[in-house]
Amino acid sequence: MNLVGITINHKTAPIELREALHLSKDEILELIPVLKKESLSEGFILSTCNRTEIFGFPKDGKLNYQQIQNSLLDFKPIKNIKPENFDKFFSCSAVKHIFAVSAGIDSLIIGDSQILGQLKDAFEVSEDMNFTDPILKRIFDTTIKVGKRAIRETEIGEGAVSVSYAAVQVVEKIFANISMKNALVIGAGETGELAAVHLRDKGVTDITVTNRTLDRAEKLAEKIHGKVVHFNDFKNHLYEYDIIVSATSSDTFIINKDDIKAVMKKRRGSPICIMDIAIPRDVDPSVKNIDNVFYNDIDSLNFIVEENLRKRKDEIPKVNNIILDEMVGFFGWYNTLEVVPVIKSVRNFFDDIANDELTKLRNKVSNEDYIKVEEMTKRLLGRLLHNPTIKLRELAETGVNAQDTVNHTLIVKELFGLENPNDKNGSNKIEE
Amino acid sequence: MLSTVHLMNISLPILYIFTFGAYWYDFTHEKKNLSNSKRIFLFVTVVIHVFYLIVRTIEFNHTPITSKFEIFTVLAFCIAFSYFILELLTDIRGTGLFIILFSLIFQILSSIFIEDLLEVNELLRNRLLGLHVISAICGYTGITISAVYGVLFIILYKSLKLSKFGLIFKRLPSLETLEKLSFYSLVIGFIFLTIAIIIGSIWLPAAFPNFSFLDPKLISTGIVWIIYGAGIVAKLAASWYGKKVITFSLVGFIMAIISLILGQFLQNSFHMFT
Repeated sequence: MNLVGITINHKTAPIELREALHLSKDEILELIPVLKKESLSEGFILSTCNRTEIFGFPKDGKLNYQQIQNSLLDFKPIKNIKPENFDKFFSCSAVKHIFAVSAGIDSLIIGDSQILGQLKDAFEVSEDMNFTDPILKRIFDTTIKVGKRAIRETEIGEGAVSVSYAAVQVVEKIFANISMKNALVIGAGETGELAAVHLRDKGVTDITVTNRTLDRAEKLAEKIHGKVVHFNDFKNHLYEYDIIVSATSSDTFIINKDDIKAVMKKRRGSPICIMDIAIPRDVDPSVKNIDNVFYNDIDSLNFIVEENLRKRKDEIPKVNNIILDEMVGFFGWYNTLEVVPVIKSVRNFFDDIANDELTKLRNKVSNEDYIKVEEMTKRLLGRLLHNPTIKLRELAETGVNAQDTVNHTLIVKELFGLENPNDKNGSNKIEE
Repeated sequence: MLSTVHLMNISLPILYIFTFGAYWYDFTHEKKNLSNSKRIFLFVTVVIHVFYLIVRTIEFNHTPITSKFEIFTVLAFCIAFSYFILELLTDIRGTGLFIILFSLIFQILSSIFIEDLLEVNELLRNRLLGLHVISAICGYTGITISAVYGVLFIILYKSLKLSKFGLIFKRLPSLETLEKLSFYSLVIGFIFLTIAIIIGSIWLPAAFPNFSFLDPKLISTGIVWIIYGAGIVAKLAASWYGKKVITFSLVGFIMAIISLILGQFLQNSFHMFT
């Protein structure tokens, strides 16, 4: 199989290069016709924040990675890129790589579940642009299957693998229904934003944001459909919140023990969860000594993340087994593709003989008798060819033993004197 | 039929051990395929237990509430059955291990010490006594489950306070859920205990000439009832949360156990039947 592919990803290139080569959907739509023209007859492009990959079948059957690479770099010229920033794949290794990507074991964060959706989108674009063939379609379907199986049959995607998500997981262990709780996010930087988004994704609808720069707080609040409280005033409202996530760049504590003592008095002991994900810390850690105050800093949350990452790594052998299993199935199918045109040729061969004989008979019998003979011939051919067709089809579908299949097709071709259907067509067309 | 009773008496602790083992394995390993199998184990055990209670009632011609160890097997059944229903309704599966442990303990004690009582005190055939005992068993089931959830609450609370994210953190439901489960079980247990006390107060003076409201068993039961009542009032009226309410449940349960032991050792109590 001539499948080739190039990839630039977190293993081969720094973030600056990956960012520079990232392709938007519009850019992918523009690049596909270029690839069609210059290097690939069919293929697909995957571009995420961590990888840009192009896979496909060479246009003239020649394996020319450089041509694909050039097409990409001509389209998106960048400086300082070296050949070693690209990884290259061919045939079996290419299929294996695509499967590994879909299962999330090639991701920067092992078990990343977003990649499966991104692959689906890439395949859809390829189909919309008529950039696929039945073999690639089969690769797409199997890739999605691998991704789904990895999620369903292993724990590769289990557990929080970012500090802000781990914080949300801890919150979920305190409150039964966090969508009924209200949250305050202190700090509208990248970490605060991520925490706010995770809280919203988990169903917390009442989120308030505070930040020294009011503009940033307002922007984040708008993004998560939350509210804003002025930074100088937030301590007066602290008791109103069940969940407090703090992620500012302050050098000193912005919340101390006395603040929380006062808060707990006003809350009449109702529990409060404080997630301090700032470095240096924003909240005096001694607040954890107050009853019903659940305080966690970045170190304790990192423990959850590391533990989950370790568990995900332990799942990689199981995912590899799934990949191997699906590769056996896929290549079994691929190896038996030759059978399909043979079946068609055998049928055509018999149809031609039948038509010849029927033509000779056409003017020798009545119209009524001719119809009867014609029907009988069709039935006869159907019955004669039923078993061989089914057997050959079974070989094509199950694809257990490729050599067996080749032997069978050769015998059939020799017995009926069939010429190579592929030679006849002059191409390698496969019917779905 | 007697041999069936004996066979089932031996089989039940084994069945509870298997069920407990399935819940233990699932708790420590959390295998997706075992998640439903353990429920099937529990279902089979509960069904066989019902069958055992029916066969025993028919064979000995009285409901199995005439001795401590008969009551223990009914209590084991009630706890297991209540948990089974609770698991079906809430789909909270991580706590069964701790509750079935109590069924296992009560059933083992019952199976070891239970006797074939063919003749029982006529007093024990009284219908009011039947209602009194059944309400008490339901009450004890409620407070046992409440205490288990209370202990789990305290363990998870400590884990979260100390930022220990181990097995307990992963498998148990949220603190709020544990508190609710403990409180609702406590309320149900309290209602049944109240019914048991009311029926007892009506029937006991008539049935026992030596009845006294100063009987140690009655005093200790009264204290248990007051502790639970205070806990419920504190939660509902004063909006107490978490550890404070749980403390009532745990102290109440410890008192209830002491009350049971007192009833066993104070031979001068009228509350002795056999």
